Amino acid sequence: MEKVEKDIVEITFHGRGGQTSVTGSQLLAECAYEEGFKDTIAIPIIGAERRGAPILAFTKISKNKPIRTYDSVKDPDYMLIFDISLLDIPRVLATIKEGVIVIADSVAPLDKSKFPDNVKVFIVDATGICIKRSFMHSSGPILNIPMLGAFGKVSGYYGLDVMEKVLKKNFGENRLEKNMRVARDAYESVKEG
Amino acid sequence: MTKVELTDFVQNKETQIIKGNVAAANAAKSARVQVISAYPITPQTTVVEKLSEFVDGGYMPGTQYIKMESEHSVMAATIGASMAGTRTFTATCGQGLFYMYEMIHWAAGVRLPIVTAIVSRGTAPPWNIWADFSDVISCRDTGWMSSFCATHQEIYDEILMSYKVCEDYDVLLPKFVAYGGFILSHTSKPVIIEDQDKVDSFLPDLPDEKGWPHIWVDPERPIMHGNLIMPSGFYSEFRMKLHIALLEAKEKIKNATKEFEKVFGRSYGNGLIQEYNMDNAEVAMLTYGDLALQMEEAVDQVREEGYKVGMVKLRHFRPFPTEEIIKLGKKVKVLGVVDRGIAFGSQTGGPVSCEVKTALHDIEGTAKVFPMMNGIGGREVSLEQQKNQLKLLVKYNETGELPKDMIHGTYWDGLLEVK
Repeated sequence: MEKVEKDIVEITFHGRGGQTSVTGSQLLAECAYEEGFKDTIAIPIIGAERRGAPILAFTKISKNKPIRTYDSVKDPDYMLIFDISLLDIPRVLATIKEGVIVIADSVAPLDKSKFPDNVKVFIVDATGICIKRSFMHSSGPILNIPMLGAFGKVSGYYGLDVMEKVLKKNFGENRLEKNMRVARDAYESVKEG
Repeated sequence: MTKVELTDFVQNKETQIIKGNVAAANAAKSARVQVISAYPITPQTTVVEKLSEFVDGGYMPGTQYIKMESEHSVMAATIGASMAGTRTFTATCGQGLFYMYEMIHWAAGVRLPIVTAIVSRGTAPPWNIWADFSDVISCRDTGWMSSFCATHQEIYDEILMSYKVCEDYDVLLPKFVAYGGFILSHTSKPVIIEDQDKVDSFLPDLPDEKGWPHIWVDPERPIMHGNLIMPSGFYSEFRMKLHIALLEAKEKIKNATKEFEKVFGRSYGNGLIQEYNMDNAEVAMLTYGDLALQMEEAVDQVREEGYKVGMVKLRHFRPFPTEEIIKLGKKVKVLGVVDRGIAFGSQTGGPVSCEVKTALHDIEGTAKVFPMMNGIGGREVSLEQQKNQLKLLVKYNETGELPKDMIHGTYWDGLLEVK
């Protein structure tokens, strides 16, 4: 749907503590590597974590070039927004730069009036999918799997087959079907918004 | 002591996307360490969590995992285990390392080949848990070897090489393997975990029941440890021998690095330093840890703009590569040194900068040293900053001009405005 072709593609994750965005950044690195990207790095920004606090994480993926930077991503190609209420925070809003592709967990199209030009927005009802499929942990829906499903579809970097391999490796055969159900739902339902 | 059967656990070479801390835990596993004693501390925690999973899950048969109530006890237990003739591993950082400090001296004084991963973090107060090498550098004069890692793979590789060096009968010294907290410990990258057979053939055999050649804990051969030595006794000679062993370990480090490259195909310069893009370089930057990897990228980009810059990664802080630094000092006109750690009260820059200046002091016609300080307490260091640092070296070389805002002889990059 919106594939970015360049040496090193950078993705930011905006979530809240407990929404599993940090694990998401790592799983994305694994999916890209499994797909054949030569180098990847997942970088969580670690502070005093607590449930509900804004969380930031980055993933850089590279087709051929080695990734030799550890610094944060300032000008991302893709942004995954796990909670759209984060867009009310000025410093989060400020990271939406011209030309970025946003994938947000939302039922309704986003209000784009505050965004710069040329921002492409995709939405997926990740929370709804998790509730429907009872894909929850102690404090809420496990959003990273559906968000990564949606990202795979939008970016075209990897498909559900690659996600299946990575999820199996990380969470085992027993939970694979549950994991794949939400990934598939998101993969199929993500749309422009 | 349970002996490990070398055939009971074989794992094939595999690339995994893992955190730096998990790479360290995997290195301990690949090295078949026999005793792990640990106490968790941020950002080291996931090293010992992973090892506890490995031991609990039966992936490290024959390994004893000893949970302790403090870091002081951790090092005491590690010393005991090592004295009894086992391959030992532990990990700590920051305040935990300082709590260990008394025992750190013991480990070196008794000449035990203990390998300790240091997930370097800032020293409190103010409380700080992010990358800063002040912790490991403050153990400079303990008799331990110390090295820095720039990549996730290097953490795994360096721990393996360390056992090879430490357990050499001419060395028999403990070693710190340090890497930046969070920047390496909690980010994930592809890391090659090597074939168990290959690692086994690279490393020395595990010690047999007789233990190390110089020390043992054996009821059949009772000896007394840690006796008082009068000033007229052999104390100075013991300490001198430790000092000489540390210096002579340089050759062993070089050999281990060479052999590692032959067996596994990954190169780390001569082991003590690793040069990057130094062909016809007029100025060079010396740095260590994670800053060094990003500096490589900066060097490439600044070279594209036409500047003749190069860089050198310092891999070992102790033993210090004096000869290599002198050679480097003769090759370039300006040598920048970026420290991520402070030498309080020094007017010759950070800890490594002081060492570099000392090494070059008596040598005619060597480079001018330009001390810099960057990334203290985990402050983010951007690629743009590092490119600018390289250009400052070029400017200093061409015009003799230093930045106006030097603070007591050191350029502190990336400071907030202090009122």
